[in-house]
Amino acid sequence: MPRWGMVIDLDKCVGCQACVIACKEENNVPHGSPEEQRLRREIYWHKMIAVTKGKYPHVKTEVIPMPCMQCDHPPCVTVCPAKATFKREDGIVVQYYRRCIGCKYCMVACPYGARSFNYKSQEAKPYHHQDEPPDRKSWGPWPFPVRTQGVVEKCTFCFHRIDQGLKEGKKIGIVVVPAFVEACPSHARVFGDLDDAQGEIAKLLASRSSFRIREELATQPKVFYLSR
Amino acid sequence: MLMGAKEEMVNHSSRKDEKKNCDSHLSRRKFLKITTLSGISFGTIGIVKKSHPQPSPHSLALRNPKGRWVATSCLNCSARCGIKVKVVDEKAVQIKGNPLSSLSEGQICPRGHIGLQVLYDPERIFSPLKRTQPKKGRGVSPQWKPISWDQALEEIAGKLRTLCETSCSNHLLILSGLNSRSHEDLLFRFAEAFGTPNLISGEGLDHEAEKTGRWMADGHFDVCAYDLDHTNFILSFGADILESTPPVSRWLRKWGKFRREKPIRTKVVTVQARYSLTASKSDEWIPIEPGTEAALALAIAYVIIKEDLLDHPFINKWSSGFEQYREIVFQNYAPERVSTITGIPTEKIYRLAREFAQIKPALAIPGKSATAWPGGSYTAYAIYCLNALVGSIDTPGGILYQESPDYRPIPRLIGSEITPKGQGQPSIDLHGTEKFPFAHVATNQIPQSILDGKPYPIEMAIGINCNFNMTAPGTGQWEEALKKIPFYVHMAPYLSEMAEFADLVLPSTTYLEEWGYDHSFPGAGSAEVRIKQPVVHPIGNSKSIGDTLFQLAERIPGGVKKAFEEIGGSSEGFVRFRTSSLIPWEEFLKKGVWGRAPYQYRKYERLFKTPSKKFEFISENVQAFYNKSGKKVREGIANFPHYSKARWLGEENQYPLILFPYQPLLTLENGSQNYPWAQEIFLPMQGVGWATPVEMNSETAKSLNLRDKDEVWIESQFGKIRTYVKISEGVYPGVVCIPSGQGHTSYGKWQKGIGCNPNEIIGIDFDMLSGQSAFYNTRVKIYKA
Amino acid sequence: MGKHYSTIEGKSKGYKIFITFLGIMFGVFILSFLVAYLKGQKVWGVSNIIPWGQLITFYIYFIGLSAGAIIISSLSYVFKREIYEPIGRLAVFMGILLMVGAMCFVMVDLGRPEKAWRLFMYFYLNNMSSLFAINSIFYTGYITLMLIYLWLIFEGKKKMASIIGTVDVLWAIAVHMGTGAIFGLIGNREIFFSPIKPFEFLTAALTSGTSLIILTTVVTFKLTQRAIKEELIFSLGRLLTGIILILFIMVFVDKLTHFYFPNREAVIYLFTGNYWWIFWIFQIGLGIILPLILLTHPRTRRSMKGVVYAATSVIIGVFGERAALVIPGTAHPQPLFPGKIEGPWGEPGIFPITPWETLLSLSIVSFVILLFVLGLRYLEILPARENEPISGG
Ligand SMILES: Nc1nc2c(c(=O)[nH]1)N[C@H]1C(S)=C(S)[C@@H](COP(=O)(O)OP(=O)(O)OC[C@H]3O[C@@H](n4cnc5c(=O)[nH]c(N)nc54)[C@H](O)[C@@H]3O)O[C@H]1N2
Ligand SMILES: Nc1nc2c(c(=O)[nH]1)N[C@H]1C(S)=C(S)[C@@H](COP(=O)(O)OP(=O)(O)OC[C@H]3O[C@@H](n4cnc5c(=O)[nH]c(N)nc54)[C@H](O)[C@@H]3O)O[C@H]1N2
Ligand code: SF4
Ligand code: SF4
Ligand code: SF4
Ligand code: SF4
Ligand code: SF4
Ligand SMILES: [Mo]
Repeated sequence: MPRWGMVIDLDKCVGCQACVIACKEENNVPHGSPEEQRLRREIYWHKMIAVTKGKYPHVKTEVIPMPCMQCDHPPCVTVCPAKATFKREDGIVVQYYRRCIGCKYCMVACPYGARSFNYKSQEAKPYHHQDEPPDRKSWGPWPFPVRTQGVVEKCTFCFHRIDQGLKEGKKIGIVVVPAFVEACPSHARVFGDLDDAQGEIAKLLASRSSFRIREELATQPKVFYLSR
Repeated sequence: MLMGAKEEMVNHSSRKDEKKNCDSHLSRRKFLKITTLSGISFGTIGIVKKSHPQPSPHSLALRNPKGRWVATSCLNCSARCGIKVKVVDEKAVQIKGNPLSSLSEGQICPRGHIGLQVLYDPERIFSPLKRTQPKKGRGVSPQWKPISWDQALEEIAGKLRTLCETSCSNHLLILSGLNSRSHEDLLFRFAEAFGTPNLISGEGLDHEAEKTGRWMADGHFDVCAYDLDHTNFILSFGADILESTPPVSRWLRKWGKFRREKPIRTKVVTVQARYSLTASKSDEWIPIEPGTEAALALAIAYVIIKEDLLDHPFINKWSSGFEQYREIVFQNYAPERVSTITGIPTEKIYRLAREFAQIKPALAIPGKSATAWPGGSYTAYAIYCLNALVGSIDTPGGILYQESPDYRPIPRLIGSEITPKGQGQPSIDLHGTEKFPFAHVATNQIPQSILDGKPYPIEMAIGINCNFNMTAPGTGQWEEALKKIPFYVHMAPYLSEMAEFADLVLPSTTYLEEWGYDHSFPGAGSAEVRIKQPVVHPIGNSKSIGDTLFQLAERIPGGVKKAFEEIGGSSEGFVRFRTSSLIPWEEFLKKGVWGRAPYQYRKYERLFKTPSKKFEFISENVQAFYNKSGKKVREGIANFPHYSKARWLGEENQYPLILFPYQPLLTLENGSQNYPWAQEIFLPMQGVGWATPVEMNSETAKSLNLRDKDEVWIESQFGKIRTYVKISEGVYPGVVCIPSGQGHTSYGKWQKGIGCNPNEIIGIDFDMLSGQSAFYNTRVKIYKA
Repeated sequence: MGKHYSTIEGKSKGYKIFITFLGIMFGVFILSFLVAYLKGQKVWGVSNIIPWGQLITFYIYFIGLSAGAIIISSLSYVFKREIYEPIGRLAVFMGILLMVGAMCFVMVDLGRPEKAWRLFMYFYLNNMSSLFAINSIFYTGYITLMLIYLWLIFEGKKKMASIIGTVDVLWAIAVHMGTGAIFGLIGNREIFFSPIKPFEFLTAALTSGTSLIILTTVVTFKLTQRAIKEELIFSLGRLLTGIILILFIMVFVDKLTHFYFPNREAVIYLFTGNYWWIFWIFQIGLGIILPLILLTHPRTRRSMKGVVYAATSVIIGVFGERAALVIPGTAHPQPLFPGKIEGPWGEPGIFPITPWETLLSLSIVSFVILLFVLGLRYLEILPARENEPISGG
């Protein structure tokens, strides 16, 4: 069984935020409003933060794209009473809207601010679309129209793409990648199997120094960053 | 009630449809009543909402979730990337790059995705609108009345015919912003056939100084393309290569490539007064005193020549005027002296110069912010010369000479077809006159010329894809000028600020609904053409610019009508016609991209279009111009690269700060910012959206007694705007930065009233040589609101 | 007196007005619940940064009050301290009602309350490592035990009552420590994360529970013209002093642990950030210092008023303590990356007090009071007045 993970190369990343938009585009994630930004109620499955150190002229700002870290030891899963968020065998932490009771415990427990609550019902837009796979027989967290206000949501590592790709026998990580990997103009992201010793990820991690965010919490994120 | 109708539609049932229809009836009646009885401005809203053919969102692509991918091209900035749009049940639902495009290797910038929100902007207009309120002005509701296309076109054609008949065809002004190449070609033909020299593009706001600087050196009046696959050192003079320097998508893609996908990691040094996203990602950020880039470039040249780090073969064989140039540099630009001008330590200049000359191949890149100044042409010239010094001209990793595609030529207009009077008249932007000697277009001269009525009055104007009373410095003057135009027609998909001044608005399609062909802003070097084809049917009654022109030409008998015969008959036909020399139609439709064979380097024999057929460190083109016009090279119009002190608008003692506008990556170049996806993450470095704070460093703020988030007025000679303070450490002391793109006043739930527009307080000034509008030399003061 | 209990008559005008008011508030409860349920929690002050707001604050507060009340009741039924007998039934009854209130709070806070049943699908559909799931066992058991306990008391089965009472007290301790663990085990929230959080919760529960008993006793006895033995109140006051001292030590140790090591940003935020006042004024000022002064000062220590004021202060202060945990605990931006995080992700959260959320909270409080007042009317909870005809026993 593969263990999906990702590497983000901060030297290649240009801070363009195509990833932020591509995720919303792919997953019908609602957009926010000035009001919601002020009240911090926007929904992001993927966000980008900027972190500054120093004073003029020795200032240094680092922009860091942050999806859900897909923790190997996900505290959100530990605290979820309803099994609404759970880790799949391939390591992806998914969110199952139909089970979520909206207790928001996972939001409190997630160290990365990766989770968002639906404070209102999702507005349908002309460009919203059903996600692949269109297979309605499997009672999965999918597809989109099922999510309503009152549930928590987060990045799913685009598992729908991966599942569909596997079904079609495609190469995951090369032909089939999460939406934001596809959209990343600088090719700063590599998606693949962390356990594959020959894989692209293993090579990258061996070649340069890398870190994970808030590693001290031992959540074992499966998203790695290559330092500049 | 109207909103209600809209929400009903979401529920997608026929009964609800009926209900909506009757609601709109009501609204229509109500609208008429209100306008006739009281004249209260319910107009815009009522009409726009009413005529909105609701795209029903809820048919959520259920039947065929797989959909199909249609190849077309983006028009959210001048890169015009090849894109593919996923269409499911006749709805566009996703956009990605077209992998066949070499410009950016099939990648697009974040704005490419926002095309979906452009196409489905809920506040688009779908019917021609006629003004019923005679008074014009900002905030004055035009009281739009929807009319039929037939009526609208006839009205415009009527006016045009009158102009023709009275032989005043030059009194027509056509303003055009960013357009597809095919539409540009059609517009050009229209103007030519009609006989007006006044087809004015927005390029006078763009890179005219940069182009002129380059033209002085190698005779090419264009911006440069760069071989980013092979370069090992990039020295950017204010070019925000990760945010705005076009073609953006190419820079974004190639950044990843030149940093980590080749054996040597390219070093990037950014010289800029603002710690931009680009600066943060660069290996080194060198803050510089604003407007002194030319001095720095020349000091670098000084070191390169002094320490003999030159590319001698190139200089000896393919350049002219080097000795004189060397003298000028040696006399005036010793790093020790330049250090005091630029505020950059001497050692740093030395080190930079050595790195630049020794890490090969290297590129020196002028940004708009270094060149959109009075004297900017010379700055561009000075920076461009650095590339020649190290031999980065038409070499791998150096400057590329962008090829243009060989479209099938449009038949030439025969003399008699041209309306006689208009031809031969000067254009009202005064380009090529004494005022702007080398200019091709001086966009920002237009308002003054209109207001002065000189050299002749403008009786009618058509504005296409432009929004100059918001995007050009001196917005107030633009508004006055627009008011003065007796008959103004605006063509656009939505009612942006300029449309507010129109007598007639024609609803045009967005780029996702129309035919065209496009090629990029210079980038990849080798020629490439992309198709533009409708991915969905035009929504409502909107019509593409191309088709509008064809149908308009139909109604103007004589030259114009004839000029539009035999070139395809419609915008689609025109695309077929023009590209038939390149690629079979079916293949073009499917692939979306045509590209020519790989780029050839070192074509020095036929490269330089200068009198000496060489790269000129002293411009013989300028010399020739003055020989021709019988004038001596005057002070201020020199024929060599040099630095001159900035000309400021505003006295330093009264206006102590320098205002820097900049274009964040998520500013769309389409006159609108009504796109939540862009708005909510508008300023990544500041971590905020939906806003345009004024940024300054903490010392500047302290000296002004300001704190983070304080509401302030920013005042220049020309006006004042209000916003809040954001302390950003990476701003040069004494400089304040405001992002442009916000401050919309006309329409849009997601943009109106958000942020402020720096152009309202920037004065009108030029680089006289090129007609380039200056953006960065306005001084301001700031105080608590 | 002593062994006899009675109902109140509920004939006074004041009573009727009060009941009507509470009835209206019940309507408000339903309404404000429906508003949030239908419109979404956007009508509240919660956000992705501060996901838990007023309702969760009230929820843990009420659990504390309930546990406190039950533990106090044990003084009478388990430890057989005669002096506490008049308030024994009252304490148990309050324990039940406060728990009902707490459950109301937590249920309406759910985004999808109709799915709450999932919490109770032990081991099958829910995840037993979640403290919410574990606590749902505690809570159900707790309510059941309390009902049995009260029934045994009414039936006069003293022996059994004392056994069940013992179990119930232990259970109440577990309930409240479990609730504390909801916070104390969350490692990424510095203000929450603490092994003594469950004990601190328990102590705070005792202080607030005792105080509420003092206040309720004085108020109901006064309003229903029953005589109060001053000694009862004073002894509760002495008890209170002790527990407050323990609470103080707990809070001190907790904050010291967080403060001592250099990664003290969160505590510094708590002390000086935008919600400093919840901590200093409410939790420390009203919850600890003021009551300690009132309870130890020779003038106020032995006056009814002094003790009642101290109790009131504790009741408010402990609410502040809960709020100082829930709100600043999450408002403090998580240190996603070393340095100053720009924009909202680096700014402390704000929690606006919104009408619908406040109404909902207040109306649930009123609902509990309504149940209480009705309880007094129909159940023999208060000791009979001296001149009252004896009824039952
Ligand atoms: N402060 C400051 N101001 C600047 C600059 C700066 O750096 N700082 N930069 C300047 C520069 S470089 C430029 S080029 C100008 C740009 O300025 P303009 O050329 O005025 O361009 P936009 O404002 O983008 O306006 C584009 C118009 O096209 C219409 N439009 C948009 N999309 C479509 C479409 O798909 N189809 C059709 N038919 N119409 C469409 C819109 O309604 C809008 O009216 O701004 C300038 N303004
Ligand atoms: N996102 C986005 N990209 C665009 C466009 C857009 O609207 N949005 N429009 C396209 C068009 S039409 C054009 S013309 C180009 C323009 O693109 P660029 O040539 O990149 O010009 P700007 O973005 O205006 O300015 C570049 C940077 O220079 C900084 N700067 C300001 N003053 C000075 C100075 O005195 N010295 C130095 N060294 N730096 C200074 C500014 O703060 C800014 O960060 O962008 C294109 N790309
Ligand atoms: S899309 Fe890629 S380059 Fe752009 S911000 Fe995201 S990770 Fe960085
Ligand atoms: S909000 Fe939903 S996903 Fe999160 S812990 Fe509660 S039930 Fe689980
Ligand atoms: S990042 Fe947060 S949401 Fe994602 S797996 Fe880890 S704890 Fe869960
Ligand atoms: S992996 Fe997919 S769902 Fe997760 S942030 Fe990226 S695009 Fe969004
Ligand atoms: S670079 Fe310009 S043309 Fe290309 S995708 Fe971005 S906005 Fe569109
Ligand atoms: Mo431009």
